[in-house]
Amino acid sequence: MSTTEAPRRRRRGGRAGQGSWWAGAPGLVFLIALVLAPLVIIVIYSFLNRAKLGVGVKWTFTVQPYVELFYSESLSGEKSFDPVYLQILLNSALYSLVTALVCLALSVPIAIWIATRPARWRTALVFLVTIPFWTSLLIRTYAWVIILNDNGPINGALTGVGLLQQPIPMLYTPFATTVGLVYSFLPFMILPIYASAERFDFRLAEAAYDLGATRLTVLWRIVMPAIRPGVIAGLILVFIPALGSYLAPELLGGGKTSMIANVIAAQFGASRNWPLGAALSVMVLVITMLVLVAFAVVTRRSSRDGNRQQLESFL
Amino acid sequence: MARWKNGRMPRLALVIGFTSMMALAACGGETTMGGGASSEAPASSAEAPAASESAEAPAPAADFPTPNGGELNLYNWTDYISPELIERFESETGITVNLDNYDSNETLLAKLQAGGANYDVIVPSDYMVAQMIELGLLQEVDPASFPNGQYIKPEFLDVYFDDGRKYTAPYMYGTTGIAYDPTKTGGEVTSWAEFFDPASPAAGKIGTLNDQVEVIHAALRAVGSQPCSPNKEDYVKVEELLKNWKPGVAVINSDGVIGRMASGEQIMHMMWNGAFTRAQADNPNLEYVYPAEGINLWQDNFAVPNGAQNVDNAKIFINWMMDPKNIGEATNFVGYDNGITGSAEFMTPELGANPAVVIPEEFKALAQPTPGCPVEVIDLYDQVWTNFKK
Amino acid sequence: MSAESALSIREVTKTFPTPEGGEVRALDSVSLEVADGSFTVLLGPSGCGKTTLLRCIAGLESPDSGEIDLKGQRIDDVPVWKRRVNTVFQSYALFPHMTVAQNIAFGLEMDKLPKAQIQQKVGAALEMVRLSDLGARRPSQLSGGQQQRVALARALAKEPEVLLLDEPLSALDLKLRRGMQMELKRLQRETSITFVLVTHDQDEAMSMGDLVAVFDSGRIVQVGPPREVYLSPRTRFVADFIGEANLLEGAAAGGRIDIPGFGDVADEAMSAGSAPPQDGPVIVAVRPENVVLRPDPTGNGTIVDATFIGGDLHVEVAVGDTLLSVRQGGPGSEALAVGALVRVGFAPGSARIVEP
Repeated sequence: MSTTEAPRRRRRGGRAGQGSWWAGAPGLVFLIALVLAPLVIIVIYSFLNRAKLGVGVKWTFTVQPYVELFYSESLSGEKSFDPVYLQILLNSALYSLVTALVCLALSVPIAIWIATRPARWRTALVFLVTIPFWTSLLIRTYAWVIILNDNGPINGALTGVGLLQQPIPMLYTPFATTVGLVYSFLPFMILPIYASAERFDFRLAEAAYDLGATRLTVLWRIVMPAIRPGVIAGLILVFIPALGSYLAPELLGGGKTSMIANVIAAQFGASRNWPLGAALSVMVLVITMLVLVAFAVVTRRSSRDGNRQQLESFL
Repeated sequence: MARWKNGRMPRLALVIGFTSMMALAACGGETTMGGGASSEAPASSAEAPAASESAEAPAPAADFPTPNGGELNLYNWTDYISPELIERFESETGITVNLDNYDSNETLLAKLQAGGANYDVIVPSDYMVAQMIELGLLQEVDPASFPNGQYIKPEFLDVYFDDGRKYTAPYMYGTTGIAYDPTKTGGEVTSWAEFFDPASPAAGKIGTLNDQVEVIHAALRAVGSQPCSPNKEDYVKVEELLKNWKPGVAVINSDGVIGRMASGEQIMHMMWNGAFTRAQADNPNLEYVYPAEGINLWQDNFAVPNGAQNVDNAKIFINWMMDPKNIGEATNFVGYDNGITGSAEFMTPELGANPAVVIPEEFKALAQPTPGCPVEVIDLYDQVWTNFKK
Repeated sequence: MSAESALSIREVTKTFPTPEGGEVRALDSVSLEVADGSFTVLLGPSGCGKTTLLRCIAGLESPDSGEIDLKGQRIDDVPVWKRRVNTVFQSYALFPHMTVAQNIAFGLEMDKLPKAQIQQKVGAALEMVRLSDLGARRPSQLSGGQQQRVALARALAKEPEVLLLDEPLSALDLKLRRGMQMELKRLQRETSITFVLVTHDQDEAMSMGDLVAVFDSGRIVQVGPPREVYLSPRTRFVADFIGEANLLEGAAAGGRIDIPGFGDVADEAMSAGSAPPQDGPVIVAVRPENVVLRPDPTGNGTIVDATFIGGDLHVEVAVGDTLLSVRQGGPGSEALAVGALVRVGFAPGSARIVEP
């Protein structure tokens, strides 16, 4: 076979409507430049020494940043295992998990409600869900500062009608952080669940009622399995970015409890330890990937129908 | 260290503050937006002809450049110079100013080190100037020899980070002290030890800046040590102090301090003096403390980085800003005092007479600039801070 | 039909809002008695209300007014999941994430039966529809006919008082449909469960129902055994909808029924013992197979078209302006060539006066 023939053969063999390999090249370059390259830089930085004054890196290899992840020289001078970063990461994961679950509990009824509206309403409602994206997250988080304030509308209303003697401190608490996180990520849960729910054949729900199922049973045994791809996508879309949240703990949590992103940001700022910041990022990256793999394994094990393919293609 | 230099939140936050005020004014929500110090500049250019002409008139150095149009790339802290002042500079000199903003010295340093950013004038703080000189990032333009170099206050001339002002010209300075409401704490606060006291009557309503350098500087002073202490035992004490103190801390946040103090949400807060004056305008009960152990004084400075494309214009700008009238107006906008002699007469009376802005004579010894800590010490700060905030 | 009523539907009315803001009356004071153990067919064109009635019985819709009794117990205010009525849906509505066996077990689990009993009933149901070896499959792995039988098994496993079937065979091809019709009849006989089937296919209705209720625009216009409905359509609509009919307009006067071109057809149109029609315009329906053609050069009709289909000769004959469909079997039909003149008449007692 001569080499000049090869492309012709390929073209003949290609299916109609299938673009050539080169058609994907711009996208691929884009992906590499914008996704892969920064990751590679972070991984490289995590194996370098600090620059002279701590801002930037020195191009000599070291694993010190990874040692610092787990060991610290105590103030009395001895090196010992120090789980502080792991604790903060675990704490972040807990916040993210709670956020994901609260978002889930809120999104399922909302998404199903939207999916059961007449078609012309659905478009408008989905549009409404995306409205928060019109303004920056910073502004929206500040808005919660105002809402949750001791002198804010919630406390104002509760004290105003006499339900409370004194305002409940809500701002600068873990509660406020969670509220902020749930608020930020709710659309990321609603939209994929809605996408699944919209495809759901509600005649199946009727069939289940007909067979004697109550509302709750229908929701749990018929609707939930059908919207599972959306639920899983939503959980991933909420949990992972929530893990990297910076604003909510900073502005709403009052800065008293760090999440891992705050610690990483500090390393690139006042703490002047870029390699440690990079190593922390790599740790988050690895754990995120482990979570994704765990999700994939769990769903593969428990689902053997077509839904799986959807999820796999998503992952 | 990130701070909103004029004690305000950045513009974005101002927008929210404004809209939220519109929506929630009745609810007494966060109302920390900046208002009008900037609009209260007393002197028009017509009233101070001598000062504004001084940029060209005396011309002692024959080789000092004269304005010849062109551009100036200014890299400054967010909201740290009056737009009207920039406009006036542009109309007086014909130089077009391109303004870019940063929010921390570290951001500034990282950007300069990365290279490729062609800034002509930057505004690093004291310790950052020292590090930039050490890293060879600044041009030795000798601002002291500029026509208006004569106005540099004597105590701002031979500073630890730039002896004789070979590299930099002074801009604003300020302090990071304690603000509190004596009518609510029920007693006087005079020291960092009282600020960090877990048994403080303000416990539960204490706020602090979300700034590891400032907080640990102050905590070191409270345990009887000094900022950047090389002794690890000091940090053991600081860690213990902060751990016991944390339960009484309501918020660790550098944003919205003014609103929280003005509304009485917090009754004691680590605070920058510029922010304090704004909070005090709403809540006259507030007092600013120069703690007995010492207080961190920071100075910001104009400098010309290596790689600047318009060095002449940079010199013209720095010289123009050292004009007492011009910098006096700059002070009126940001609410901090500056390092230029004779600027006081161009400042609003309220600012000029406020002990939080202009350091009273008896506290001048307490307020000293603090050199940046070495990297090993920064690691200790980071460790203490991470544990404090976990 | 002598047995007690399994279902008793009295004056049920149901309206739906239209998108334009108006109202559509899907059921207009519908009453029907369904005998226990019968196979009742609700027949009508689409949009006539038959499916709405089925959904009202199932509990998926609630009537605006009227009453539905199941074995003497009022059920129209009982929630759907508590009614001892089950439905085979037109779309089958099998749960795609469950196996065939799980689909069938679902309804039994809702009754909180013991596991062993569920297993036994699932097995029996699968056997009943001859799918015993497919219990572990997913619905997506089955053919349309198999899915249909799973839907049946799922509903029958619940042993309902009444089984509702909503156009269950419409998605199957003709051959499969015939087979399933027989299968449904067999299942109904074997289980003696009351079946109520909705269809728009009159052949299906005729071949399966013990009783056929014909729907027209939200009303039941005729109820009766298929033969009776076919032979004695009450209205022009029924005559036209069920089978083929020649509808001839004429006038009744003094016991005569005159149809232009035919003369008096009172003898042919009047069944024994029925009262003569009131004077005035009438419509007479005649089935094509009841039209009698005799070659006659002085006849009143002309053959327009003649085609052999199957064993029958399908003839179009013109009488004046009227065109009649005629089906002729047996000998003599070869004489009916196109253009031939014929005498057109009706078999005795075969014509029916129908309401307009």
